[in-house]
Amino acid sequence: MKNGALLFLGLLAAVLVSWAGVVLGANGQLGHLSPYYDDGDSQAYPLRLPGIAAAGQLVYRDLNCAACHTQQVRRDGFGSDIARGWGERQSVARDYIYQPAVQLGQSRLGPDLANLAGRKPTPLDASDLYALLYEGHGAMPGYAFLFDDHKVIGQVSDQALQLVGRYKALPGREIVPTRRAQELVAYLLSLNSGYDYPEAKAVAAPMPEKKPEVKK
Amino acid sequence: MITASTQPAESAEVTVVETAGRCPFLLLIASGVLWLVVSGILAVISSVQLVNPGVLADCSLFTYGHTSAMAESAFIYGWVGNTGLAIALWMLARLSGEPLRAPNWVLVGTAFWNLGLLLGLIGIAATGATAVPFLELPRMIQPIMLFSYGAIAVGGVLAWTGRRRDQMFAAQWYAVAALFLFPWIFSAAQIMLFWFPVRGTLQAVVGGWYAQSLWTLWMAPLALAGAYYVIPRITGKVLPSYDTALTGFWTLLFVGGFTGGRHLIGGPVPAWISSLAIVTAFVLLVHYFIIWLNLRSAWSGGGGTALKFIGLGLFAYLLSGLFDAITATRGVAELTQFTLIDTAQVELGVVAGISLLLTGALYFAVPRLLNRPWASSGLISGHLVLTILGLAIALASLVAGGWTQAHDLADPKVSFGTIADHLRPWLTGVGIGQAILLLGNLLLAFNLAGTVAATVREEGVQL
Repeated sequence: MKNGALLFLGLLAAVLVSWAGVVLGANGQLGHLSPYYDDGDSQAYPLRLPGIAAAGQLVYRDLNCAACHTQQVRRDGFGSDIARGWGERQSVARDYIYQPAVQLGQSRLGPDLANLAGRKPTPLDASDLYALLYEGHGAMPGYAFLFDDHKVIGQVSDQALQLVGRYKALPGREIVPTRRAQELVAYLLSLNSGYDYPEAKAVAAPMPEKKPEVKK
Repeated sequence: MITASTQPAESAEVTVVETAGRCPFLLLIASGVLWLVVSGILAVISSVQLVNPGVLADCSLFTYGHTSAMAESAFIYGWVGNTGLAIALWMLARLSGEPLRAPNWVLVGTAFWNLGLLLGLIGIAATGATAVPFLELPRMIQPIMLFSYGAIAVGGVLAWTGRRRDQMFAAQWYAVAALFLFPWIFSAAQIMLFWFPVRGTLQAVVGGWYAQSLWTLWMAPLALAGAYYVIPRITGKVLPSYDTALTGFWTLLFVGGFTGGRHLIGGPVPAWISSLAIVTAFVLLVHYFIIWLNLRSAWSGGGGTALKFIGLGLFAYLLSGLFDAITATRGVAELTQFTLIDTAQVELGVVAGISLLLTGALYFAVPRLLNRPWASSGLISGHLVLTILGLAIALASLVAGGWTQAHDLADPKVSFGTIADHLRPWLTGVGIGQAILLLGNLLLAFNLAGTVAATVREEGVQL
């Protein structure tokens, strides 16, 4: 190859083709995805994140929770996501349209969190999540820096963690979540993909049609 | 016809390029090796944290999420970036037959690139990562990186446009491609992810496109540029089947960027993105095949350490291409997605493949830049042995651990506590491998420092 200008134009074309193909192509399809209005519920889904939860997503991002947790449930039959109870349906693009910093994640050293607040039969509540964040669990360390361990002045705070065993606050002291912990937990409690969008419904398995085919 | 001219006439080992100004190259190389060590230390810390989650968990600066992001950034932007640019600029200047032009731009650019990276790592620790793979540096730092890169690249582009002969060699295509492509993909990703973020899962699409493009349009071309330049010089033979090289080059450039979507298989994005990625991962095998055709003479035996590193790097690079294609298929991805197998893929492609190709080129370049042999041949052999050992242990542990993890995850009855117990021995192996690698890279750092110090002693501070 001799022509420098040709090489340059080729390079430009190479980047533009993959950028236009992948990024613009996807943008054309998803860029204008609108919320789904449910006539029965008289409201649109997904719900907007409350301000504190939106701030919590940034805490989740800053701590890089995505290094160990995904937020995407794969469809039934593709992996064990649904069988593990991570969600009742696969995640769809519409679930994420209001999220400021989408955290799909690429590693599952820990469980998926896409539907953490919608777990059946009973999801974790705020105090469970605070305890989990403070104590850690299994391969997840406790993040004590998200909490403030200080002397009780006057009444014990209603936010103080009710811990047992070796994590229990020392006498005269209390452990309360910091602002970041509150935001993070508000965010985790907002992770709920309970609403069934039309596109999220599994394509009906052709069971009745198959039955007659089975001979014997 | 083309093959006959794969080696430009270059009789002297040390040319005017080195005598008239080697400072920019040495600064880039020294920074690269320093970041390699920093990244190694962080990688060991993050591996230890996976085995023993309590380590440094109380310190918000060094949680696993932060140490792993810092190790990755130091490796990519510090080691691969600095060293790759050093080799590319040096080679472009040599092939142009003239001393590097705009050396002060390169020096200032290098200073700011490394300052930016340092601030970026501090930023990750203090304020947080961006949680976008391969783009973890805080967004405030990214413009610094972009502009300082531009200053460094000026030298390379001038060396290329000012070349005396029209004919370009494969090494030059790859180097020029890397020089131009990084700013484009880096700025596109920055704008779409951080300055004017796109909506919803499009962010993941852009992130996947960026990570893959950074790999196939920047890091791989930098490494291949070095390999295409160094191998024929060491073996003294023309590269076999050199006329296929152009096809290999354009296949990588046009197809590479599409393969990013393989990490989104089954995810909440249009299915055609992952389908396209799977198909292109297989089309890309054409590129790997041609690289094998052209560069297999690196395995012809003899040739010293530089060639041994390049041979190893080439082996890992080719294997990573095959590994990519296999793990991209839906049936395999269903199992291996989100497991340590994904980590193994990056380790094999970047930490073994691209990094060892660059290490080989570095071993070739430094004696010529300093016009003296390496201070210690023992340290070189030690580096080689430790690198092979470290990578073998780390990769074997990642693959074995990933395989266990994949099967455990597929069985909904296996709890995460059990998975963690199953993974612990393998993660210990990864940590040991990383520690051995770090030890080897320290030997490289000592040897480089010793060689530079000997030159300074002999010739004075005038580098």
